[in-house]
Amino acid sequence: MSAPTISVVDLSKFYGEVLGVNRVTVEIPPGLTGLVGPNGSGKSTLMHLLCGLLRPSRGSISVLGVPPDRPEELFRLLGYCTQYDSFPAGATAIGFLVHTLTLHGFDRAAAERRAHEVVERVGLADAARRRIAGYSKGMRQRIKLAQAICHEPRVLVLDEPLNGLDPMGRAEMIDLFKGLAREGRHVIVSSHILNELDLISDGVIMIHGGSVVAEGSIRAVRGEITTQPLQVLVRCDRPQTVAAHAFSLDHVVEARIVDGGAGLLLRTTDASRFFPDLGRIILSTGVEVETVTPADENVHAVYDYLIGDGGGVR
Amino acid sequence: MSAAPDRGWPLWRRQVAVLARQEVGRSLISRRSLAPYLLIAMPVGIALIRALFMSESQRASVGHTTTELAQIFHFFILRFIVFFAVAQVFVRLVRGEILERSFHYHLLVPVRREVLAVGKYLGGLATAAAILGIGVTATVLLAYSPHGAAGLDHLLSRRGLTELGAYLAVTVLASAAYGALFLLAGLFFRNPMVPAVLFLGWEIATPFLPGLLKLLSVVHYLGSLEPVPVSQGPFALIAQPVPPLIAVLALLAIAAALVAVAARAMRRLEITYSTE
Repeated sequence: MSAPTISVVDLSKFYGEVLGVNRVTVEIPPGLTGLVGPNGSGKSTLMHLLCGLLRPSRGSISVLGVPPDRPEELFRLLGYCTQYDSFPAGATAIGFLVHTLTLHGFDRAAAERRAHEVVERVGLADAARRRIAGYSKGMRQRIKLAQAICHEPRVLVLDEPLNGLDPMGRAEMIDLFKGLAREGRHVIVSSHILNELDLISDGVIMIHGGSVVAEGSIRAVRGEITTQPLQVLVRCDRPQTVAAHAFSLDHVVEARIVDGGAGLLLRTTDASRFFPDLGRIILSTGVEVETVTPADENVHAVYDYLIGDGGGVR
Repeated sequence: MSAAPDRGWPLWRRQVAVLARQEVGRSLISRRSLAPYLLIAMPVGIALIRALFMSESQRASVGHTTTELAQIFHFFILRFIVFFAVAQVFVRLVRGEILERSFHYHLLVPVRREVLAVGKYLGGLATAAAILGIGVTATVLLAYSPHGAAGLDHLLSRRGLTELGAYLAVTVLASAAYGALFLLAGLFFRNPMVPAVLFLGWEIATPFLPGLLKLLSVVHYLGSLEPVPVSQGPFALIAQPVPPLIAVLALLAIAAALVAVAARAMRRLEITYSTE
């Protein structure tokens, strides 16, 4: 029997005549999944639909077997950190979390104990009894995360969770997400900071104009983009020599010295022939190779190819 | 994942209590309740001024105060003060939090939407009943205060206590029925004060409506529970008063039906703050 997943089938949402998401079908496995798309592409709408804050116009959603219109079951499994930067008037971090946890069914003492553990976990212990209204943007972001994870959900949906955090805070939160994903939870993160998503995501869902344009691991998604030559960065002691030999290959369409002569960027239309050919060049020339890495097997490049201006690595 | 200690009815009861307590905590002593406090301060102020400036001849007649108080309660406190104070409290329960963009937190917890509706409603009811109950009690006490010992004797007599109890009961039942209406209005209307004013017009017109239509009015049942009958004026269409028990049951049924509709509407509620 396969592990329960998050399943979205033929999902559409219309706001009157305005399209939110259109016929989205995705299966989201455990691990960290990045939800990528430009502003207004439908990322937040999809997240709202997953969490039952919006009702689908068509299609269905199942979160580990639970439909989002049953909040009493859904939010035992799921925590949602929304992009809304607002809180109940007058709330303190601890008061806010204790209230949330008592609604989860914890008695007051257990809720307080857990609330303190969670504020510690998101790095807000020192400000836990202060009013949230006086928090910085980064602190508010942390308390929203605390609200999402306080009941230890199996599914976390995080809408732009890194917004407003300083670099240190982002690193801490990324560690937290990675840790949660390693525990086998589903962690779905939307972010416009593609480099950071690239570092942490096991897979991506790319959404544009309300439709999913690609989903899966970055490598698999990149592999399916056959219209864009694969870019490979070779770091070696004599990049000019490799470049000279690479030009003789009919599938290599570009060879460019980069990084001040320390590397060579090659673009090929045939990845299956490229790597054996590159191996032969290296052996025949005796070049000392430091690394050979795909230069556009990352969220940023894939995003550019599918949604942006198609530039990849420049 | 940690298992929560309760499920089913025990959890729902606890969730209703948590939601209601939060609502009371937020509303009873906060800026958001300034309007209801100011509203109920008006009859209290009027009763105070009346007490300070009452003529000697009027001070001698407790019965005169009983009649005047009945009219103040019916035409001023019940028709306007309770109506608008309850509107202020209950409209904020949902619409106010949607405008503050914090309502979604109620929808991110394992709480049935029906439980949320009931918890918020009971919190609003407790808040309105507390604020208005204190105001009505103060108004009654101040109304009888110029009469000295005779006033105190009346207040502490069976009749006086029944009178006060009836005013408080009518206030609470009015809060229950109007509150359910405004909770519902807050779910359906971006500006719930528009339907509130329309309904107030209906309520004011009740004395002039034929008997069958009077049954569709809240104030018709409330009027039947008031301890001292009040003349509705020469143009009013007289109808049989509703027996008190039927009036109470009718008001509770109206409130329950409206809360049930609100709970159903809550199930279909979507969070689209950008359109608010």
